[in-house]
Order: sequence, then structure tokens, then C-alpha cells
Amino acid sequence: MATLWSKLSAVLPGNEEEFPLQFSDTVESSVVDVLKRSRQQLYGDATTTSRAVNAQIILDFSWEKLNTGTWRHVDKEWRRVYSYGCLFKVAALCREGPSEDEILQAVRTCDMGLLMGAAIMDNILQIIVGILQSEIRKSSEEGDETEHALIKRMKIESPHAPVIKEELAVPRIKCPSLESFNTNYLLPLKPVILEGIIDHWPALNEHPWSIEYLRAVAGCRTVPVEVGSRYTDEEWSQTLLTVNDFIDRYILNKGGVKGLGYLAQHQLFDQIPELKEDIRLPDYCCLGEEDEDDITVNAWFGPGGTVSPLHQDPQQNFLAQVVGSKYIRLYSPEDTDKLYPHQSQLLHNTSQVEVENPDTERFPEFAKAPYLECMLQPGDVLFIPVRHWHYVRSLELSFSVSFWWS
Amino acid sequence: RNKAFSMRWFGFGFNAFGQICVHEKSVKVAGRDVANEVKVNSPTELSGRSGCCSQISQIKACWSRRASLHLIGESKTTSQSNCASRGQTLLLFDTNKRRLQYHTLNSCIILLSLIGDRPLLNLPLVPGGYIATKPPLYRPLAPDLKAKSLALGAEHAILLCATGAVYTWGLGSHGQLGHGGLTSEEEPKAVEALWGMPMSCVATGGWHSVCISDGGDLYVWGWNESGQLGLPSRGLRKAAQQQKPQEGEKQEEVFISIQAFPALLDVTPSCEISTVSCGSRHTAAVTTTGDLYTWGWGEYGQLGHHTLISSDEPQRVEYFRKQQMRVVDVVCGTWNTFAAVVKEEVACS
Repeated sequence: MATLWSKLSAVLPGNEEEFPLQFSDTVESSVVDVLKRSRQQLYGDATTTSRAVNAQIILDFSWEKLNTGTWRHVDKEWRRVYSYGCLFKVAALCREGPSEDEILQAVRTCDMGLLMGAAIMDNILQIIVGILQSEIRKSSEEGDETEHALIKRMKIESPHAPVIKEELAVPRIKCPSLESFNTNYLLPLKPVILEGIIDHWPALNEHPWSIEYLRAVAGCRTVPVEVGSRYTDEEWSQTLLTVNDFIDRYILNKGGVKGLGYLAQHQLFDQIPELKEDIRLPDYCCLGEEDEDDITVNAWFGPGGTVSPLHQDPQQNFLAQVVGSKYIRLYSPEDTDKLYPHQSQLLHNTSQVEVENPDTERFPEFAKAPYLECMLQPGDVLFIPVRHWHYVRSLELSFSVSFWWS
Repeated sequence: RNKAFSMRWFGFGFNAFGQICVHEKSVKVAGRDVANEVKVNSPTELSGRSGCCSQISQIKACWSRRASLHLIGESKTTSQSNCASRGQTLLLFDTNKRRLQYHTLNSCIILLSLIGDRPLLNLPLVPGGYIATKPPLYRPLAPDLKAKSLALGAEHAILLCATGAVYTWGLGSHGQLGHGGLTSEEEPKAVEALWGMPMSCVATGGWHSVCISDGGDLYVWGWNESGQLGLPSRGLRKAAQQQKPQEGEKQEEVFISIQAFPALLDVTPSCEISTVSCGSRHTAAVTTTGDLYTWGWGEYGQLGHHTLISSDEPQRVEYFRKQQMRVVDVVCGTWNTFAAVVKEEVACS
């Protein structure tokens, strides 16, 4: 049987000359120097420590660059350097008969590169993490029996579900034609729930998404998690956790962790292609003007009780519910003046009002704003027109997929 | 009188480019401890590259280089460490103490002429170095503030006025401006919390700022990610707990991630601070009694405590005390630290 390292070397360039290290002037020559040292060590003789030290220098230096200035102003070259640091670190970890723990560390390192770095060498980190994952799956193939019971109990304990007033309910329609969706909902920008348009997703059929399935496909992968009730709260923060840790801590509440955790607004499907196979782009997205590749697909996975405060997004949105149910309230952009958006630049797309418990003295106009509401159930897809204000609360363990398109 | 001549310089921390010491280019020996070559974790004396008669009087360091100003007889020259790179810092002196300083700040370059108005000619060049034919940017910087000194962080600046007032500007995302918020300032703005307390020295790390009052008190603010402010850092405590999990007592500790106002840091209760310098994520301060204290990120040995452990509490570098050396100056590079010492006897005379 081929060793892990031989599988990894097979996807690396055959020799030092073929291993690319091209950077713009932004990356000073001393940094390129360390990158070259690492490359040389990859193909030559060196101790494990020495390999690890050089890789860490590259990671530490580019990490400081990634933290300099606002994220979108960070030069992509530094994100590439960071990815190289991850690649060299993974190579150092897996070189000589790595332990299970070292392989897990290598997976985490790949994910850091995928989350914070930029693609290098035809996205080699994505290829490597696939190899590492199959290695891990070989060694752990048994599930946790007690979990089923836990999940069942959680469903019973789901938070109270508001009663939907019929006159305010978002209309529902079964598999409309492109033409009728366009005329009746997209052009007039009217919210609607589309039924029956994702019934064919493997996520609802062959591979029904469950805790066990997510653990099997993505358990050891690192993802960003929002911790705190709402992103407008003072104590709200973001952290990086493996999917397994996230499930243990925030879904199954093992270890008595306080607070809510939400794997929210993360492009999980780019990170884990296996999960992407389980979903499809809604056909209606083709009514947009943009290329299919520009559609942003985000995952929203969390326990009951997660809240996205009332906010608006600059694109059309299909919110597909795969697991569990969510209470959603929608306000038209025409009523923005009654919704009291935050003053600050960062939160100007977010309302200050707690939708289900509004402070009527501070926000007297809010009660006058008309709205629509719905309970989104598995298989439902909610069309949220561009700039429509929406408030979302999960009622139980929930997994949704959003498609932002224009 | 000739204090400089009896001064010796020691360095510790990041040494991947031989900034502190050059290890013998031994034949490749398997198992050779490379980590020790890159990470110098206890003070190591800098060897006089240009011969034993030269004395280092000044040091500047960036990530991959160290520049030392040597005194040879009466004349002064600048020498560079052996690594050539277009680094972020270039500092040159001439005999009239005319000083020219280059720094990159927020990707634009500020060329600051502290004394003297004409650019210097005959600049000694490092291999691979070059002189820009015209300064990328030149503008007088708040002349009314009568700047005494200026320090630049990764994306912010701190200026000390002749009056002892402190001004900051630039990016404020990590609280590094000390105005209480996280907003950025385009123009120098007085740090109001320090108003009325004249300062004598300012320094910046990547994302933190420090200053010393006339009375020898140290004030810190900005990012505390690695404990560089000397205040409890959640990240460090977490890492420490993972190494040796402590049982019981789960008292709610108050951690500081960002300190947006200047905070008084009690480095040592008994004495005053005479000088201070910051690396990207660590801080080093010298007391009037000649002790060196360091805190913050330590993974390259830049704290000099004979370990690679970060610390969110100021700790004395015991090496100098043991050697009966009195620390008189400290200069931090990005990930390393250089300290100037005199022997106790000399200091007393």
C-alpha cells in the first residue's frame, strides 16, 4: 500500500525546477528567500524541525501581513504566500510516517490556507486535503450511537414557534415556470416560497444531511463559527473550529458550553466539494445577468435559536431549507425609514430593532411597517428579492443554503 | 564620559538571516539543531564584524536585517548585516547627526527629514540596494506640533511633540491610536487621555503603541493578541491551558484583546522606566536600575527568557542580572530584540 507521503509527492511537482515560486514586487526578496529555502528542503535533505521552522516563518510573516489593513485591502500576493506556508507545513508534518494527530493537524493547516490564503498551484491545498481526508476516514469508520438519542431530544426541546398569521404569510407556489416566476415575482421584486424545486437534491435524498453525514464528510475540517446571539451584540465573535468540535459544542452542547454557535455565511461548498455534489443551483438563477460562477453559495448550519437580525443584502437571494425549520420575517425596502438602520458604516444594512421584541418607545414607527412572514420547512426555497429586509430565527437544528445572485 | 566605548550589544530572537549571530557553515550534519540557529532564545553578544576596535553605538533592525552604526575612532560609518534585501527600514547617519529615515506605512512611503533639509549624497549602499531618484512622497508633517520623535507601526503613526504631548493617526482597527475607538484618523490627533502628562519617549509595535511619561511610567494601548501590552491575553492563556490543563477553579478572568485607551502598565513596582522599544508583537523596556523587562510574542526567542514561550506579563531578562550587566538601551527588530549593556562597575563610576 502506498504511503501517505508517496501519495502527496505524486501531486507535487516532480522536482525543484518545476515548483513555481513567482511573486510580484510586493513580496520582498528576503521572504522569497525563505520560500526558496523551504522549496529546497522539500526536494532535498533536511530535518523535520528545520522544515517546520521555515514553514512557520512563512506563515508568521504572511499572517502579520494578512492582519495589516482591512481584509479586502490585503494584497493577494500575501494570501498566496500564506498558502505556500501552509503547503510547506503540511509537507513537513506528513513527511515521515505521520501520526493520526499530525494528519489532523495537516488537514487543519490546509483549511487555514483555503480560508485565509489564495489558490496556488492549481489549488493544490484542495487536492492535498482530499488525500488527507481519505487517509483519516480509513482509520475511523464507526459512528456514535448515543448521538441519535441526543438529536431526537433536541428536536423536542425546540424553541417556541410563532403562529403565522394567514394574511401575512409569504405566498407559496409549486415549481413555477421560469416565465411565470420572472413576471410575477422577480420583476416586481415580490417574495415567494418555491416548493418542490430542490426535491431532487442528493442532500434531501441519497445523502440526507444529518449530523452523522456531516461528521463523515467534513468532521475534521476547520470552519468559521459565529459565537454569540446576534452579530450586533457586543460579545459576538468569530472563531475557527472543526465541524466535529462545532457539533459537539454548539449542536449537542457537550461540555456545557454557554452561548450560541452558528456556522453562518460560509462558502462551505467551495471548501468541501463533496458537499457541493449534494446541492444544485436553482434553475431560476439563470434569469440573472451574471455568470453562474459569480453566484455566491453560503452554508448556514446551527442549532435552534440562532438569530440573524433584520438586515438587507445587495443581491437577490434564494434561501433553500434542507434540515429543520426557520421563522422568517420580510420587510420591503420601501419601508426602510420605519426600520431604524444602524448609523455606523459597518452596520448600515442592519436594523436596530429586535423584530420579535421591539422597543416601541425608541422605535415608534416600526409597528407601522407592513411585513410578510413564514415558517421555512425542509424542501422550501424562499425568494428574498434584492434589498428586502429579512429577519431569520432557527426553530430547531437547521441547515440552509443561500444563493446570492444578480 | 566615553560611555559608548564600554557599551556591548546583545541580541536575541529571530535569526534566520544571521542578524544576531552567524553559525559556522558546518558541513551538513544530520540532526543539527536548526531551530536554535533561527531562534536565539537567550542574549548573545553581537560580534564586531568590522574588527574588534569598532564599537556599536546605534542599532536599527527590520525583519531580515540589522543595521549597526559603528564608531571607529572619530568617524562614523554605517554597516549592514550580510543579508541584502529591500527592507522596510533604512537608516543613515552622517557626522552632523543629520538623520534621514525611510519607512513604509500603509503601503505609501513617508520620507521624513528630522533635521536638515537637503537629502544626503554618498549614501553607502548595501548589495542589491538602490536610491530612489526622487522621494516618493514628501510633505512637511504637522510643523506646528514641533515633533521630537516619530514611531511607525504597521499601519499607524505616533508622534511625540516637544511639549511632551502625544499624537497618533493612521488605521485604528486594533485600538492602536488610543482615542478610545477603532476608527481611523487621517490627521494627527492628540491622545487626550494622556493630556497634561508630558511624555518623554514613544514607540510602536505592529499594532500597539507605548510611551513613557516624564515620571518614568509606562502607558500601553492597541492589540494584545500575543500579550504585547502586558495585560491578560485570552489567546495565550488558552494555549497554556491546552499544554497543562488545570482542574477546578473556573473563575471568570478579564481578558484584554484590544485596549483602545492608554493603560498604565506596572512593569515593576519599585522603579521607573527609562526607555522602551517594540517588535511587531512584543515589547521591551529598560528600567532606571538597569534591568530589561520583556513581554508579548516569544516564539522566536525575542523575549530572551531562554524559552520560546509568549508572556502577557512583563518578565525580567535574568541573563544580564546574572552577568552583572546593566542594561542601558534596547532596540527591537520585528521579531528580535537588541540590548546595550555596560558592566556594573563602569556604570557606577
